[in-house]
Amino acid sequence: MTINTEFMIQTFFDVLAGIPVTLELTFITLLLSFPIAFFMALQKLEKKKVSGKIVSGYVSFVRGTPVVLQILFLYSLLPTILNYLIKEILKLEFDIFSINPMIYAFVVFSLNTVAVLTEVFRSALLTVEHGQLEAALAIGLNKCQAYVRIIIPQAIVSALPNLCNATINLMKSTSLAFMMTVKDITAIAKVNAAFGYNYIEAYLVISVIYIILCTLVQLGYVAVERYFSSYKRFSTN
Amino acid sequence: MLEIRNVHKAFGSNQVLKGVNLKVNKGDIIVILGPSGSGKTTFLRTINFLEKADKGTIDFDDIHTELHSASNKTINRIRKKTAFVFQNYNLFANKTALENVTEGLIVARKVPKEEAIKCAKDALDKVGLSERYDYYPSQLSGGQQQRVGIARAIAVNPDVLLFDEPTSALDPELIGEVLSVMKKLAKEGATMIVVTHEMSFAQEVASRVVFMDGGVVVEEGTAKQIFTAPKEKRTEQFLRRIVRDYDYVI
Amino acid sequence: MRPFHPTYIFEVLPQLFPYIGVTIAVTFGTVLGGGLIGLLLAAAKIKRGRIAKVLVNTYVYLTRCIPSIVMLFIVYYGLPELLMVFGIDINNIHKAFFVITTFSILFAANMSEVFRSAYEAVNKGQREAAVSIGMTEFQAFRRILLPQCTIYAIPNFANALVNLIKEGSLAYTIGLIDIMGKGQLIIGLNMGSYSLETYLALFILYWILILLIEKSLKFLEKRLLQGRKILNTAG
Repeated sequence: MTINTEFMIQTFFDVLAGIPVTLELTFITLLLSFPIAFFMALQKLEKKKVSGKIVSGYVSFVRGTPVVLQILFLYSLLPTILNYLIKEILKLEFDIFSINPMIYAFVVFSLNTVAVLTEVFRSALLTVEHGQLEAALAIGLNKCQAYVRIIIPQAIVSALPNLCNATINLMKSTSLAFMMTVKDITAIAKVNAAFGYNYIEAYLVISVIYIILCTLVQLGYVAVERYFSSYKRFSTN
Repeated sequence: MLEIRNVHKAFGSNQVLKGVNLKVNKGDIIVILGPSGSGKTTFLRTINFLEKADKGTIDFDDIHTELHSASNKTINRIRKKTAFVFQNYNLFANKTALENVTEGLIVARKVPKEEAIKCAKDALDKVGLSERYDYYPSQLSGGQQQRVGIARAIAVNPDVLLFDEPTSALDPELIGEVLSVMKKLAKEGATMIVVTHEMSFAQEVASRVVFMDGGVVVEEGTAKQIFTAPKEKRTEQFLRRIVRDYDYVI
Repeated sequence: MRPFHPTYIFEVLPQLFPYIGVTIAVTFGTVLGGGLIGLLLAAAKIKRGRIAKVLVNTYVYLTRCIPSIVMLFIVYYGLPELLMVFGIDINNIHKAFFVITTFSILFAANMSEVFRSAYEAVNKGQREAAVSIGMTEFQAFRRILLPQCTIYAIPNFANALVNLIKEGSLAYTIGLIDIMGKGQLIIGLNMGSYSLETYLALFILYWILILLIEKSLKFLEKRLLQGRKILNTAG
C-alpha cells in the first residue's frame, strides 16, 4: 500500500475551492429553511387542523426516505417542470440548462431540511411550559409578542443541540451534491481521484477537511449557546 | 364594576361550570373556596379569557361582551384591566425579575422604558424584593418567585387582581411571606378575586366568600357568616373537612 | 413535458421486491457488527479509565463528522489495499462486505452512545439494591439493569436504525444491488426513461419499510413499559 503524499497536498489545495460551496450549500439552505420550518412547526402543534396533518405527512415522508433518493428524484423532475413552465406557460426563450446547478441543490436540500427543522422546532416549542404563554397573554401581550419575546428565546436554547446536529447532518448530506454536478468538496476530490486512481488519498484528505468544518460548526454553536442561555446558568436554590 | 353572568364551560363531556354568576364592586376582596374539581380555577381563568367559556356574559365598566364570542380586541381590553397571579408563578424564565415586571408595561401598554422601570422597581419594593431586581427566576426561591408574580400583576395597575391558588405550590414555610404581601394589598384597597385554600386569609381579609361546588356557586356571604353559620349542608361539610385538615397542619 | 406513467410504478415494484432481502440483510449485518463494536465502545467508556474514554470519544467524534459516502469510498478503495499489506486478498469479495464494514464503523459510534445513555439513565440505586439483596453483579445486570436499559435504548436505537437504512441506500454507488441498486439498474436498462416512476416506487418501499420499523419499535417500547409507569418519572 503506497500513499501518494504529493497528490494529497495537491488535492488539499484543489479542494479548498470547494469549501465555500459546501458552506454556502449548508448555511443558505439553513437560512431558507428556518422560517418555513418554524411556521410548519406551529402548524404541526395544532394537531386538529388539516394543515397540521399535511405537515406531519410531509415530515414523515421526508424523514422516512433516503436523501440520495430525494436528490435523484428532484434532480430529474425539477428541470422538466421548469422547462414546461417556461416554454409552455410563460412562453419565454430561456435555456433552463443554463441554470446554475446550485439553485437545484438549494431547493433539494431545503425541502429536506425544512422537514428536519420542523421537528427540531416543534420539540423545542414543546419544552416551553404552556404557562409561559398564558402569563404573557395575561399581562396583555398579544400572541405574536408572546412568541417573539417569551417563547422563542426560550425555545431556541433547547433547540440548539438539535440544530447543531441538523447542521452537521446537512453539511454531510451536501457531499451528495456532486450528483447534481455541483462542484463541492467531494466532487472536486472525486475528479482528482479518478484521474490517477488515487481514491484513498483523495477521500482521506476531504475527511480531514470535513472534520475541521464540523469542528468549526460545533464551536460556533457552543458560542451561540453561551450567548442565549445566560438565564439558565444558575441552578435553582 | 365587574359582573359575570351565567358562565358555562365543558371540557369534552365534563361539564365544569354550570352557570356561575359573580358581581364585583371596587375594593372587594372576594375569596372563592371549594373542593378540587369544583370549577373555581376554571371560572377565574374564564374572566381573563385564559379559558374560553362556552356561554356567559361579562360586563366590565363600559365593556359588555359574550364570553364565547369576544373579539380579540375586547379580550385584550379586558386583559389590560385585569392581572393574573398563577399557581406555579409562570415567571418568564428568560427574563430577570425586573424584566418580568416591565414586560407588560413596555410591550403591552407602551409605557416609556424609564417610567416602566420606575414602576417595576416600586412594585418589587412593595413585595419586599428590592434586593433582587436582576435575578433570574431560577435563582429565586418559590416564595420570592411568587412575589415577583404579584409584583408583575400590580405593576400594571389593574382594576382587578386575579389570584389562582397563589400559595398551593409553595413549601409551608414560604406561604407566609406571600400571604402577607396579599394582605397588604388588600388593606391598600385593591380589588381582588382569590381562589385559595388558605382559610386564615379568607377569615382575615375577605369582604365576601364564595363557596363553589360541582360547577355552581353554592353559597355566598361574608367570611363571618360562611365560617360560623353556613346555610348549605355542602358548605358545612367542606369547611369541617378543611378545618380539620388545617388542625393537622398546625 | 416528459410523459409520466403512474401505472409503471406498479410494474417496477414487483421487480424491486426480491431485493428488499438484500437491503434487510445488509442492515441486519450492520446492526450485528456495529452493535457489537458499539457495545464494546460503551463498555470501554463506562468501565475503563481516562484513556479509553478519550479514545472512544475521539472515535465517536470523527465518525460523526465524516459523510457516509466518503467513509464508504475510503473503505471500498482502502481496505483491500490495507489488507494486501498483510497478504490478505479481498479483491473478489462480495460488495456487501464493504457496505457492512463501512456502516458498522458508523453505526457503532451511534450505538455506543445509545448504550451509554441507556445505562446511565438507570438509577445507580437499582444495582445497589439488587446487590444488597444478595444478587451477583451479573444477576443484577441481567435481571434488573438490562430490562430497564432496554426500554431507554429503544427510541434512540430506532433513530439510529432508520438513519442506517437511509444512509445504506448509498451502497449502490459502489455497485451493491439492493433495492436502490436494482432501481438504478432498471433506469439504466430503460435508457433513463421511467426514472421518475422508478424513484417513486423506491420512495414507497423505503417509506413503508421505515414506518414499519418505527411503529413496531414504538409498540415494543409500549409493551415493555406496561405496568412500570414509575420508570417514566424516574427518567
